[in-house]
Amino acid sequence: MLAKKVDRMEKIEKVEKIDALYNFFLTRSLLRKYKENGKKIIASLCNNVPEEIIHSMGAVPVRLLGLAKSTELASAKIPTWLCLYSKRLMEDGLRREFDFLDGIVGMTSDDTKTHLFSAYSFYLKPGFSYLIQIPYVRDKSSIEFFEKELKRFVEKFESFFNTEFSEEKLGESIEIYNRFRDLLNDLSRLRWEDEPKVSGEEWLKILLASTSMLKEELIEHLEDILEKVNDSEGYKDYKLRIHLSGTDFYDVEIVKMIEDLGGIVVSDDLCTSSGYYIGNVGGRTLRDLARRYLTQSACVLTARLEHLSIEDRLNFIMERIGESRANAIVLLKDRGCEICGHQCPFILQEFTDIPTLVLDLDTPYPTEQLKTRVEAFVESYG
Amino acid sequence: MELQEWNPLGYKNLYRDLFKKHLARQDSLLKQGRPVGWFFSFHPSEIIYIFDVVPAYPEQYSAYCAARGSSVDLIDASISKGYGHFLCDYFKTTVGMIEEPEKATKPLMPKPDFIVDTRALCVAHHEMTEVFARKYGIPKYTINYPFWTSDALGYVDELTKIPEMVEELYIEYSISKLKGLLEFMEKVTKIPLSDEKFKSVFETSEKTSKLLIEVAKLMMSKPTPGSQREIADLVFLAFFVLGSNYALEFAEKGYEMIKGRVKRKEGVVPEEKFRLLTFGIMPWHSLSLYEYCEMLGATFPVNLYVNASLHLCDSKKPFESMVRRSMHFTNSTYDLMDGVIENARKADLDGALLLENTGCRITSMIIRPLADTLQEELGLPSLILEAPQCDPRIMPLERAKTQVEAFIESLK
Repeated sequence: MLAKKVDRMEKIEKVEKIDALYNFFLTRSLLRKYKENGKKIIASLCNNVPEEIIHSMGAVPVRLLGLAKSTELASAKIPTWLCLYSKRLMEDGLRREFDFLDGIVGMTSDDTKTHLFSAYSFYLKPGFSYLIQIPYVRDKSSIEFFEKELKRFVEKFESFFNTEFSEEKLGESIEIYNRFRDLLNDLSRLRWEDEPKVSGEEWLKILLASTSMLKEELIEHLEDILEKVNDSEGYKDYKLRIHLSGTDFYDVEIVKMIEDLGGIVVSDDLCTSSGYYIGNVGGRTLRDLARRYLTQSACVLTARLEHLSIEDRLNFIMERIGESRANAIVLLKDRGCEICGHQCPFILQEFTDIPTLVLDLDTPYPTEQLKTRVEAFVESYG
Repeated sequence: MELQEWNPLGYKNLYRDLFKKHLARQDSLLKQGRPVGWFFSFHPSEIIYIFDVVPAYPEQYSAYCAARGSSVDLIDASISKGYGHFLCDYFKTTVGMIEEPEKATKPLMPKPDFIVDTRALCVAHHEMTEVFARKYGIPKYTINYPFWTSDALGYVDELTKIPEMVEELYIEYSISKLKGLLEFMEKVTKIPLSDEKFKSVFETSEKTSKLLIEVAKLMMSKPTPGSQREIADLVFLAFFVLGSNYALEFAEKGYEMIKGRVKRKEGVVPEEKFRLLTFGIMPWHSLSLYEYCEMLGATFPVNLYVNASLHLCDSKKPFESMVRRSMHFTNSTYDLMDGVIENARKADLDGALLLENTGCRITSMIIRPLADTLQEELGLPSLILEAPQCDPRIMPLERAKTQVEAFIESLK
């Protein structure tokens, strides 16, 4: 009886802790605090921007995500049929929600992100701006080019902010980021248990919090959460273990809805989750960083020589499903996402032995319809 | 509104002759068993002639389907297979041809033996080549040119694509990838690179590119000498057959024709009332929209889409030339529009007709910044029409005509 009570307490504490962290993402309060303390805040527009570089030069890297529910200002500047990620980000920018930013760093990872960088720079004049050119091939010459490109980025950053880059500091930042990744890996393994100790909703909240705060600060929270989670009881009352597939998805409400209806999200291949943290940097130099960001992440558009990136992505999903023992896939297909638009049919073809539900997403979400579809899916396969 | 007599340059016969020769070459090479490659706009088209391969162009084929009326069924076929709604029309039409060939306009594109993926315009080319390569199980070669930013590229002349300065790192990497492309071509075509042929194809390309640039310049004369109905198709030459003898033949004749017109001060319509700039991929299903505007007295001396397709090839610097092909304003950040504005200023314009191609993130995302820049820099108003290049359902021609009429009325 007492043990149960303690466990419930642990669970409540865990939830409160995670919600408090998530609140940093919703309010961006820590970012403003850093700014007040003289830190430069630099937004990244892609999960493959090597944040370690920005961090090593004393600035705060933020994976920028918009929170706007409606996008009327953005619709006057960019097409209305673009993905939710780009519309919300542009909307928050135009509403001056990102007034704490000192610069933005984009990447040529897809057309939307490339042109979002251009549109954001054109309309919002963010101070510092840099677009990192990412090769789509993971061969030797491309890794060498990417290293030089990162060097070029460093030089522009140094010159704009009158700061100095040092390999020693980069090494320290890499260590911090690797520690952050290790902790998330530990936490992730707890999602794979028969009774997962972290729900998909909790997981996504933690990941989103990680985009809006310094990683060294987050690490302390993560260690604490890990301890609490380790001691707590897992979730038993679910019917289906779900792998969530998609790109720049970050709507906690949708994940909560899936889990309220009997699913539990145990793994994913989202740009805002697995794509953001998986893959440690195997050294302390820019070259190591170039190798990590070009070869190890879940970037959906780069491929090994003579390979296709879609094959790498399918393997990535397969690995995640193998580890987590997910027995269903929910494919989050943002109607405006070019990657979803091209790759979804291949994911469906590849995983014919696993029940898959495709959720076509566009705002405003047709919540009741989505609920009905998820409910029927869980009932059918749970 | 009163319609004037329409007097085009007469390029129609030149195009007919060009296509005939291009198709004859294709047939002959197919009979010889030469490999088929799929290529996309802004690729180095010279390699097609250096290595004697059969080229097929999903973009051009899709435009053909749009003009012939089959693209709608093909787009629907691709969506029903699970591909996204808001993707490039060219991609959806091509996937439709692969999935449901019975609905596609004949002749179908020949099946590819290899595919060349050049991101010189959009990542969508990279994304779609992945899909095609996987569907056919064929080798693919990827070059991604930089997306040019103002710290890497100075002022760029809009027609020649000669930049004031350029970041060496990007040039070097792109050239290394182009050299890799030549090795790839040697492998898939099983013939070694001939230096002599390489030189001669690039010399042809240089001559043709010079003439095409002259045609674009002459189009800015007063009165506007030609119609966009015929000028818009110049992208076929610039994108796909540059380096061929038949493209050079076309350019020589086309140049003489437009030069004569300008000399005689003869316009596409007797009374030019407004001079408009246009941009966006042409709505291939409804090209008569241009003819209609011209008959209303609104001519188009500047087509930024055509201008983007041009570059001055320097046969003495073939690799640099291939990279310069990517230095168009649609592959650059929006602060690199100076060249475009300067050219527009020279053309003495009254307004702009801009086409937002649904599904094409490049043209559609650049439209509003372009409209804002034209307004700020030159005081030009713009009409933005949502016009996917292969799907007439979103831009019914009659509705577009009404919108254009209202816009022209407002210019008065």
